[in-house]
Amino acid sequence: MTAIPVRATRKTRLLPGFPRCMILPTLLLAALILIPFAAPLITGADPVQIAVRDRLAPPSFAHWLGQDEFGRDRLARVLYGGQVSLTVAFVATTLACIVGTLFGLIGAYFRGPFEFLTTRLSDVVLCFPPILLALLVVTLFGPGAGTLVAVLSVLYFPSFARIAFSEALRVSSLDFVEASRALGTPSHRIVLGTILPNIAGPVSVQYSLTAAAAITIESGLSFLGLGVVPPAPSWGQMIRGARQFMSQDPLGILIPCVALTLTIYAINFFCDRLRDTLDPKGALGGGKDETSVPVAAGMVPADETADVVASVRDLRLDLMRPGGPVNVIEDVSLTLRANQCTALVGESGSGKSLTSLALMGLLPGAVRQARGALRLRRKSGEMVDLGALNAKELEGLRGNDVAMIFQEPMTSLNPIHKVGAQMVEAILSHRAMSPSDARARAISLLELVGINEPARRFDGYPHEMSGGMRQRVMIAMALTCEPRLLIADEPTTALDVTIQAEIIELLQRLRTEYANGLSLLFISHNLGIVAKIADRVAVMYSGQVVEEGPAAQVLNDPHHPYTVALLESMPSSHEDLHSARGDRLRAISGTPPLLDARPSGCTFHNRCPIAVSSCADARPPLFVSADGDRQVRCFRAPEAGLEAAR
Amino acid sequence: MTHSFQASMMATRRGVLLSLGVGITAMALPCGAWAQSTNAILKFGLSTFPPTVKPFDNTGGAANTVKLMIYRGLMGYDASGKLLPELAESFEWLEPTVAVFKLRAKATFHNGKPVTAADVVFSLNEITKEGSSAFLKSDLTIITAAEAVDEKTVQITLSSPSAIFLDLMASYCCPVISAESTEDNAIGAGPFVMKSSEKGVFIELERFDKYYADDQPHVGGIRFIAYADENLRFAALEAGDVDLIEYLPWTQFDAVEASDTMQMRSTLGPYMFLLFNVTDGPFADAKVRQAVGYAIERQDVVDAAFAGRGVPLYGFPNPQGSPFDLTDPAHEWTFDAEKAKALLAEAGYPNGFDCRLLATATYGMHQDTASVVQAYLAMIGINATLDLPDWGTRVTAGKEGKYDLAVHGSSGTYNDPDSLWSLLYSGNPSYLQSFGFKSARIDGLLEQGRTEVDPEKRKAIYQDLATAYFEEVPQVPLNWRVQAYAMKKTVTGFEALPGFLNGASAYALDDTKLG
Amino acid sequence: MLEFLLRRLAAAIVMLLVVGTIIFSLLVIVPGDPAELLLSTGGGSATQEAIQNLRNEMGLDKPILAQYFGFLANTAQFDFGTSIVDGSSIADNIALRLPRTLEIIAVGAILALLLAIPAGTLAGLRGGGRFDVIASAVNALLTSIPGFVVGTLFIYFFAQVLGVLPAGGYVAFAADPAQHLQMLILPATTVALHLATIIFRMTRASVLEMRGHDWVRTATAKGLRRSLVVRHHILRNALGPVITVAGLQLGILLGSTVLIEFVYNWPGLSGMLVTAVEQRDYPTVRAIILTVAAIFIGINLMIDILYSLLDPRVRLQ
Repeated sequence: MTAIPVRATRKTRLLPGFPRCMILPTLLLAALILIPFAAPLITGADPVQIAVRDRLAPPSFAHWLGQDEFGRDRLARVLYGGQVSLTVAFVATTLACIVGTLFGLIGAYFRGPFEFLTTRLSDVVLCFPPILLALLVVTLFGPGAGTLVAVLSVLYFPSFARIAFSEALRVSSLDFVEASRALGTPSHRIVLGTILPNIAGPVSVQYSLTAAAAITIESGLSFLGLGVVPPAPSWGQMIRGARQFMSQDPLGILIPCVALTLTIYAINFFCDRLRDTLDPKGALGGGKDETSVPVAAGMVPADETADVVASVRDLRLDLMRPGGPVNVIEDVSLTLRANQCTALVGESGSGKSLTSLALMGLLPGAVRQARGALRLRRKSGEMVDLGALNAKELEGLRGNDVAMIFQEPMTSLNPIHKVGAQMVEAILSHRAMSPSDARARAISLLELVGINEPARRFDGYPHEMSGGMRQRVMIAMALTCEPRLLIADEPTTALDVTIQAEIIELLQRLRTEYANGLSLLFISHNLGIVAKIADRVAVMYSGQVVEEGPAAQVLNDPHHPYTVALLESMPSSHEDLHSARGDRLRAISGTPPLLDARPSGCTFHNRCPIAVSSCADARPPLFVSADGDRQVRCFRAPEAGLEAAR
Repeated sequence: MTHSFQASMMATRRGVLLSLGVGITAMALPCGAWAQSTNAILKFGLSTFPPTVKPFDNTGGAANTVKLMIYRGLMGYDASGKLLPELAESFEWLEPTVAVFKLRAKATFHNGKPVTAADVVFSLNEITKEGSSAFLKSDLTIITAAEAVDEKTVQITLSSPSAIFLDLMASYCCPVISAESTEDNAIGAGPFVMKSSEKGVFIELERFDKYYADDQPHVGGIRFIAYADENLRFAALEAGDVDLIEYLPWTQFDAVEASDTMQMRSTLGPYMFLLFNVTDGPFADAKVRQAVGYAIERQDVVDAAFAGRGVPLYGFPNPQGSPFDLTDPAHEWTFDAEKAKALLAEAGYPNGFDCRLLATATYGMHQDTASVVQAYLAMIGINATLDLPDWGTRVTAGKEGKYDLAVHGSSGTYNDPDSLWSLLYSGNPSYLQSFGFKSARIDGLLEQGRTEVDPEKRKAIYQDLATAYFEEVPQVPLNWRVQAYAMKKTVTGFEALPGFLNGASAYALDDTKLG
Repeated sequence: MLEFLLRRLAAAIVMLLVVGTIIFSLLVIVPGDPAELLLSTGGGSATQEAIQNLRNEMGLDKPILAQYFGFLANTAQFDFGTSIVDGSSIADNIALRLPRTLEIIAVGAILALLLAIPAGTLAGLRGGGRFDVIASAVNALLTSIPGFVVGTLFIYFFAQVLGVLPAGGYVAFAADPAQHLQMLILPATTVALHLATIIFRMTRASVLEMRGHDWVRTATAKGLRRSLVVRHHILRNALGPVITVAGLQLGILLGSTVLIEFVYNWPGLSGMLVTAVEQRDYPTVRAIILTVAAIFIGINLMIDILYSLLDPRVRLQ
């Protein structure tokens, strides 16, 4: 399935390149870091000035947060203490980051003994639990900020070394690094100039994580009396001092605790957002288990004869976005019949995958069915409206009456379950049979799709198989419950050319030999393959079907200028077929419009070589051919003239 | 401040009266109830787990408390600090250098055998033998002979008269153990027997039924539980997890005084002082040390480091309960910053100097004292940087002189000025003394005081010592600490022994009753 | 598998040798004399002669190299020797203390897993939903409160104000099961809170990530029940990273319960180590560090094996 083109991260207007979701955490963090360093501007009090007579005095005008057990000004202490705590934590983290990253880079780039040294050294340090190591070193060198910095940087450099190492290992195997190496660029320039910028993301996330941890450990050690030396204030030490007066003077312990917690919170908050920004994969919204519920239409199309397996009528899908819904599929109608292969063709983002997912009741959570009807014929012969089914009934339908093969065989199988188990669970969720029968059925299906030694493969894992084999497994899995409709969403796109041909042959064979009456919805942008397999073709552009009809007619005599362009871009040889994955139309200029910026009138008019000015005025309807077998959405198509003549 | 000190003393006095009253009611109770309470286990919260309980080594207050429950010597103290015969029934001085002790007929070791004169001789030899690490080894070199006159009579001959010999015989580091003791198993004759223990956690003792005093102890056993953290120790008492704790944190005195369920017993025990590295630098000059003496407002030390629970100490640290009154206002360092500055200028440091102030982070009172001292020294231009290593490093640094100025707190072991011997006598330098400090005058006076037995003459000697202390400044005293034991109101009969004997308060556990 | 184990064992021995050598050298240069310390506990003093006698008794008069090789030879025979402070068997002491530290860690870990995995899963499954937003915010706040602060506040509230739980301490389970459990509650909860925040984060992130994979859609397309999709194709996959992180944390916790044991007076291994460092009880410090390192290495090995069982793509090598 191809992604819905949605603009990635929003950027701010003031600072181009600065993501909006980072503003709040950055401001909060900056404030918490800057406030302690602005201490002299906030209070004139000296944090070490003792006034024993006023010990534990409550807040007053002169001392806003009161005075501590030595009568020192608590506001000054918490501010200056922040300076100490933050300085120690950040200096230590920076040192650890520099040393650790350097270790990791050298280990990953030069490998051999360097790699051994880097990984073993960090292993040894990790063997010493952090507080323990800190305790020993502090005992050794005596407490103090310098010792703390040393301890913390020793403690944390291994984690930087590990991250830098694994990231650098990944980056240095990339093409451009190999290329610079081949060009004889000096090592230090490759490492610092090429590799380092590419691993900056994960390292910076680690940096903020470590800074938060360092503040925690610093305060813990100061709490034990092993940290910053009095009278210099630090938060841990303030807690230590206030602990004994906890019941008389809860404010004293509360203030440093809150300062400490707030600072750590700000760093964590910043760090979370930073990670989400740098690596949006992990952020929200990517769930593929979330489906949106189909909507019942209540209408029964007139042409629903007995051989109709599925029908889509006037389907309109909206993508829900914070700024309001965006229409992604408009007025799509399809009729899929038994023993027929319908091909859905179009560029990425034209809506073909969404249309097919809608038929599975598998629309992503963010997409809503706004209008139209989705109807499927069940094995019982009854035609059902997907919108009328509850979640449980939908589950009973999926995989049973309609099945789907996805584009990426490499990722469509769960890597941690055995292939057989994944087939068996599909069988058992629709058929009442014993596990051993299910196993036998799965093995026979594996054999059917042409897998050698099916019994052995049944107990194998997906990663032990090639892409072609996995796609065969996917096909076998789709066939487990003998569905009436099989949807194949670009099943060969991810595969090698020779394998592509085999898979297409397999699908053809199955359709004719194995599953009598099967209707196949074949989605592709590759017209060469479509020509081989399809009975009918529907061409989609920007969420609409622009041309539909018998495959031979549409492909040999396209009536829509877009179909013409598609056919002209078709590579002539197999080699080109493979490299054409980028699916750009060479014959026409421009790119498909963004969903929220569709032009008025015909959506294709600004790329259309034969457009006239009126094309921009009104959206063309589907014009039906004389025999009723073809439809075209173009004012300049022959059918349009026919319509006008009528 | 004296006000709050008096208040706490009054509280103590009230406590004594109260405990007397309860004692009387307890006696009036039927026998069954008495028997029940005598079998109860007293739970005692220690400040640290005793590293060892070797009878002759001094391994800290917690160890000494436990040792006093298992081992007893010839002499002992009552709850008021009065020296009394313990395993000995009586003693007499045949000559100023010859003492004869008569042992109690009922005194029995934990192995069931009677305490004999041979055991006493054995014990004294164990202390003084070659290779011993006993606390009193050097003190007891004055013994020239110890002989068993008969089964129950020991005669001890000293090289010179000694005013403190009987106090030494009452020390928790001078018990009588059975001659059948082995290296790992010293057999004592104290009121309790070791039952079980777990290193670092607890020691449980049970009553020794053949203890010489028939009516003691009043509890079935004692379970010592270590709480290294003082707040936790107090929390344990407050929550009722233990019955009695030592070293009640000063910050909790108010809470105990206000409590309906808890009470405390306190005395002025140890004192805090400053030590100097006198080998070189400004502190080699006694004037500079005197300036430090004048520079510090001691009440602030008491208030900040001891929550007001202490008494400023301006001169010679003569312990509470000492036989002599050595008060001498002419030789005291009352707070006077101007005088301190003048002395500094006189010594050639009109603008002050930088130095290193050693204390330890292990003990909060040392650290807090150091903080106040630092602040006051800054006022006369002495800019001290704090050095706060852990206790182990602190001891080594003290011994090796790696400091300019150091905070310390200590106590003698009996209420006599002679008890300051280990803190002032330069013949045995340790981390407790100013590094490199030597004074023939002070050493001589200490020696005289120890061998003189006439009280009047001794008083004169120690008055001279107090003057020498003020003039030569081997240490700058800061304050006495109020040392308190806190307990549930249901615990009766326990008292804190006065002065330097505070650490031997475990003697009072003999009379302690539970509820 | 066998070859893998042997290789890891060899690596572990080398690692322990390095760790042992580092710790031995560290202790040699740490100032402080165990003999003098013992005889000056609580501020007392002893004569130089007494200190020297005790040093001889402790075996500290031997040359450093002889001490080092003696240490290596004894350790190779799994003989940790005796404490130089009180002569007790170190192996016995560790055998007594280690289970207690393991107990609070284990109980804490179980509590954390029971709490954080369901909550993290729910938050991950409803990413961006109300539960997720609230749970994540609470979690972020809890992550930011250091354990010793939690402990201190717990004691204040539960023991001193409410008086419902003991302030700290330890009683053997065999001696008094009810009291043992009471005393276990606060320390275990403190450990659990710390672990739970980490596990929650990891579970949530892992579930969110797994949900984005194609195989989840495949599973739904097969017509599996939603609960089955969640259990087999999201949770089961999410477990690997969660276990790795949780396991690593357990290893780190082993020597990092210092503050928790300190605050609750729980006599575990960390407390023993702190005391040993304070007393400069060299053999005890070395033995504890080696034990902790060995367990840490063992846990890592177990995580690797477990991970390979959870994810067949991972090969043990």
